[in-house]
Amino acid sequence: MITAGIDIGSTTTKAVVLDENAIMASLVVPSGNLPGQTAVKLLARVLEEANLSESDIGAIATTGYGRRLVEIGDIVMTEIKACAAGALAGEILGEAPGERIHTVIDVGGQDTKVIALDDAGDIEDFSMNDKCAAGTGRFLEMLAVKLELSYEQFVEEALKSDTMLQMNATCAVFAESEVVGLLARGVAKADIAAAAHNAIASRIASMARRVGQRGAYCFVGGGARNKALLKAIETTLNHPVYAPRKAQIVVALGAAIGARKRSGGKDGE
Amino acid sequence: MTESQFDERYRLPPYRMDDPGTRKRSRFVADQQRELLANLKRRPATIAFFEGLMDAPLQDSSPAVGYFCNMIPTELVWALGARPVRLGCGNPALVQPGEEALTGDICPLAKSSFGMFMDPESRANKCAAVLMPASCDAKRKLGEILSDYKPTFVLNLPPEQDAHRYIKAATLEIERLAGFLCDVLGRRLSRSRLLDAIELSRRRTAIVRAIQELRARKPAALSIRDFHLMIQASFAGQDPEAWLREARRALEEAELFEAARKRLRPRLVLTGAPIIWPNFKPLNLIEECGADVVADTLCTGAQSCFDPVVYDEKSRGALMRALAQRYVFASACPCFISQGVRTSRVIDLVEEFKAQGVVNYALRLCQLFDLEAYRLSRILKSRKIPFANIRTDYSLEDTEQLRVRLEAFLETIMEEK
Repeated sequence: MITAGIDIGSTTTKAVVLDENAIMASLVVPSGNLPGQTAVKLLARVLEEANLSESDIGAIATTGYGRRLVEIGDIVMTEIKACAAGALAGEILGEAPGERIHTVIDVGGQDTKVIALDDAGDIEDFSMNDKCAAGTGRFLEMLAVKLELSYEQFVEEALKSDTMLQMNATCAVFAESEVVGLLARGVAKADIAAAAHNAIASRIASMARRVGQRGAYCFVGGGARNKALLKAIETTLNHPVYAPRKAQIVVALGAAIGARKRSGGKDGE
Repeated sequence: MTESQFDERYRLPPYRMDDPGTRKRSRFVADQQRELLANLKRRPATIAFFEGLMDAPLQDSSPAVGYFCNMIPTELVWALGARPVRLGCGNPALVQPGEEALTGDICPLAKSSFGMFMDPESRANKCAAVLMPASCDAKRKLGEILSDYKPTFVLNLPPEQDAHRYIKAATLEIERLAGFLCDVLGRRLSRSRLLDAIELSRRRTAIVRAIQELRARKPAALSIRDFHLMIQASFAGQDPEAWLREARRALEEAELFEAARKRLRPRLVLTGAPIIWPNFKPLNLIEECGADVVADTLCTGAQSCFDPVVYDEKSRGALMRALAQRYVFASACPCFISQGVRTSRVIDLVEEFKAQGVVNYALRLCQLFDLEAYRLSRILKSRKIPFANIRTDYSLEDTEQLRVRLEAFLETIMEEK
């Protein structure tokens, strides 16, 4: 059966068309200010890419913060559940760590989640950041702007630094003024960029410990494309972290898998 | 005259705010919650009566006495011919005024409650006196702050709920409260009127228990939000006989409800901080996410009326002791040294009401509930009881995050079934 998963996030919307164990097509677009409409258009585009029409699709699942904003889906699931399903689908992603995944870290634009999985791959516990942008992708984006660097440069700079400055990262707005203070003291941009990544990594490690830190670790979401963040997380967790190349579409993939499970009678209602 | 607990040398003029904008906003917040509730599939025909009580003006026929928390024996107020009005505030619009005068770093309940006193037109300022248990730090100091506004009595509580060790002191403290009330109201406490008042509150307990028991069998018969609204309407300083009559009607109506199908929604026990009208945010979220709260330990929910006053004899001393037993030693408030009362209660409720999980509502900046969540979550998890902690305040900005958290929790519960 062919299914589709749409992950409507705060920053980007992702769609995956799944046939058995192969991704037929996947797309990522900015969510814009009308995420519902974006999702509808994205579905049409991803189907076109896969050379399919809507009637070829057995089931569509929506997830992400906009999961209830659209009516194109047949089922709605939380990104926690979708994320776990996607991260475990190593055979579909075409890559997997050597050992079983027990912790999934998802850094999105609006929130960060850490999910603990048991040996059967079921969700044991999860943790989410509290309100506000601290510890999210948006936090890093804002600081890059403050340092007058593109996001790519910001990540490059962070990778250059070997320092470990203290930064609070409990509030994205206050962090900006903290950065202004550091700049005024003549601290190098590379060290500030590293401090921001380390601050977030340290928060993520706290969340991972709260849910019962256990390897292997899988890092997904838009944040997983950030090499400096990956490195910082590996340092604080003192453990290698696996970030699949298709990290950004893992949640959408998990939704497509969920849709297949649901309509295949298993777990069906 | 009872001796004042506060230093009269440092009395201050009240800090006031006459702001029609805030008044309008706070009415608007309540209207929004009413609109949300109006969409409920099934509500008692008499629900308008209870909604009406929430902002009905206090009648002048008898004096009103304001109180906080669930440790004030309101029977004493009734027995003296006055009306107890619970003042703990749930209005998000009043948080900012309270913050303006006091500090940002106390819980929204304390801030909004003080915000209410800042408005000269509020019902808080219609009260003849204020009764405040020294439960948490915020309440303890709020008592002193409010003593500039109204004659105020702060009820001291024992640090431990060890009745064997502290019953004498707690009973004396309730006697002292009775003395304060007699002075303020200029009346004498009669034992027979106290017995009548105890009887009145026992009738309320009986109805609340009957509704609780009904909801355990048929959660769809009455929304938890309407149930809590009804309970809180009984704290609004209105005619208790009228409340009893209408609550009886609502119960009879709900009894007649028969579900067409088996209820598949997950059953939850709700514990944690008070949830006060019109900020029903956690209750809204839980029901919107598709779960039923079948029991709670909230001091603003069923727990508030759950324990009857039980006396072994009718002497004044025995009655006062019974009040202390009920209001101090049966309390599930985290202000006491051990969290045993609440933990046992939660575990019992999960078993008795066949709940599949526990949600803890941690009110941001309430350190006591926040700290108790650490052990509570571990104790429940060790007993294989699924547990979710919802940590938030009166604002709506984190609603979507909380929704994800709750929905994911419910997904895992349903998979375990």
